[in-house]
Amino acid sequence: MELLGNLAIGFGTALTPQNLFYSFAGCLIGTLIGVLPGVGPVATLAMLLPTTYALEPTSALIMLAGIYYGAQYGGSTTAILVNLPGESSSVVTCLDGYQMARQGRAGAALGTAAIGSFIAGTFATVLVAAFAPPLTELAFKFGPAEYVSLMLLGLIGAVVLASGSLVKAIGMIVLGLLLGLVGTDVNSGVSRFSFGIPELTDGIGFVAVAMGVFGFAEIIANVEKKGQREVLANNVGSVMPTVKEMKEAAPAVARGTLLGSILGILPGGGALLASFAAYAVEKKLAGPNSDPPFGKGNIRGVAGPESANNAGAQTSFIPMLTLGIPPNAVMALMIGAMTIHNIQPGPQVMTSNPTLFWGLIASMWIGNLMLVILNLPLIGLWIQLLKVPYRLLYPAILAFCCIGVYSINNTTFDVLMTVFFGALGYLFYKLRCEPAPLILGFILGPMMEENLRRAMLLSRGDPTTFVTSPLSLGLLLAALAVLGIATLPAIKSKRQKTFQEAD
Amino acid sequence: MKIRNETDFWSGVMFIAFGLFFGAFATRYDFGTAQVMGPAYFPTVLGGLLALVGVLVALAGLGRTGEGGKLERFHFVELAWVLGAVVIYAAILHWAGLLVSMLALIVISSFASHEFRWKEAIILSIVMAVITYLVFIIGLKLTIPVLPAFLKN
Repeated sequence: MELLGNLAIGFGTALTPQNLFYSFAGCLIGTLIGVLPGVGPVATLAMLLPTTYALEPTSALIMLAGIYYGAQYGGSTTAILVNLPGESSSVVTCLDGYQMARQGRAGAALGTAAIGSFIAGTFATVLVAAFAPPLTELAFKFGPAEYVSLMLLGLIGAVVLASGSLVKAIGMIVLGLLLGLVGTDVNSGVSRFSFGIPELTDGIGFVAVAMGVFGFAEIIANVEKKGQREVLANNVGSVMPTVKEMKEAAPAVARGTLLGSILGILPGGGALLASFAAYAVEKKLAGPNSDPPFGKGNIRGVAGPESANNAGAQTSFIPMLTLGIPPNAVMALMIGAMTIHNIQPGPQVMTSNPTLFWGLIASMWIGNLMLVILNLPLIGLWIQLLKVPYRLLYPAILAFCCIGVYSINNTTFDVLMTVFFGALGYLFYKLRCEPAPLILGFILGPMMEENLRRAMLLSRGDPTTFVTSPLSLGLLLAALAVLGIATLPAIKSKRQKTFQEAD
Repeated sequence: MKIRNETDFWSGVMFIAFGLFFGAFATRYDFGTAQVMGPAYFPTVLGGLLALVGVLVALAGLGRTGEGGKLERFHFVELAWVLGAVVIYAAILHWAGLLVSMLALIVISSFASHEFRWKEAIILSIVMAVITYLVFIIGLKLTIPVLPAFLKN
């Protein structure tokens, strides 16, 4: 019954009027920004990070979590109405969601997505609350060698899940690790790769990197495309699915929730993998004779992935909260946010900061509830927003980004850094190199070097330390297995097919 | 030698360039030993690894007939308007203040669009200047200079 006691602490924190307000505000502005085409959760979080500086850490994290869920849901709305995924995890929602919208059933698709997400969110929240304490126990057994192996597993997970070539994703990760090393080396005090620029001795700001490669680069890529977006908003229909649709959607929601929860915990996993896998499962189970066929507006193609990506979004907090290791780019940003508020992420957060820890978990459920309450009545508003032409939207997005980056350290140098990474991000876009693994590497770079050094110092330079500890060996074998499976010819072609279907 | 997959080939070249750059630059620092790693150890290893990955990617681009490997045109004009607007914003923010630099940012970046209209851009810039002032200065109380330096004594 410790769980109930812990949840009581959590809800006690999350239900204060002040935190309720921040959760609500987070969900609302998160959705507002997330609805904008081409703005995914990472860019949304980076952009809105400064709005939380003035708050105390618990409220700030609650609000950021709200922003994340909001952005995620906003992305689905855009996927269904405009056939433009704001983020990779709603790519599969486009397939059947947009078709439903074309048949005048946009309301039902949006309603199913909201209700499915809420159910998934509820289940995943309980899961996080149940799994966090034992995993934290485990985390305390981790020494530097285990941490290195775990990070390696996480990075390899991220490689396998990147939607392009495996080797290119490895390249992006290594590049991210290197960029993360820029700045003063903690052991020797040497300022590395700073080229005599004083601002660089503190390292590159992760918001500058994230906003550059996800925000600015995306804007340039969108601006260069001519042609109009088609907003299917004239005939949204009822947001309540029909009884028949509900009957079809319910098992898909259940399967999506389960699948998403498991995949979210995996290093490198999270919402993206969850939604792809859930879509593949639903399609397989439905068979070729489903009515309507998949890709032609089958409600299960919306219900499954939408539940899965929300469950995955939630459970991906588990490795972040217990081990202090981000499983994906969004969690990397959350870790960055915690550091800004002077909280060192890791297993000690639960014991040293229980109200923050459990408050955040409780607020996950509250945030999900708010999304349902907020989104179903506000769909009309989001549609209006989607009708705003892009030529008016992008300068506004740019403006918020600029102020956001500037206000982190009150320096225009960070703004210029963002410009640099915007240009680099545009190059990545043209070369079809996915930026998500880069962000992950960027956050993990210094952590990995630090732990690697410690591990090697403890073992007196003997690299076998990584295989003599059973825990570390297990993690390394897991990493090897993941990589091995991904390169098997059968899986390889399947993997390519899954990602291609989504294009 | 024919480049079959342009995006892969040039990605490889990019990785090689970054890898060599970091690897070469790291030689200025102390390498150390495996037991006591110096500041150059990890970057050198990573730089070498990145260059190696780059070679693999570039070779794959030469040998494979991958679909969609065609390098799309770079739109430098749009890039210049968008990023240039931000550079100007950053350059003038401290002496021109938030309101003026916001006007500049919005109007200049609007030029990137194929459907640029003066009237629209100017109205949008004024609206955004007001909104950002209300949200960030009044609402969130961020410390950003609002008015041009010469207006306040």
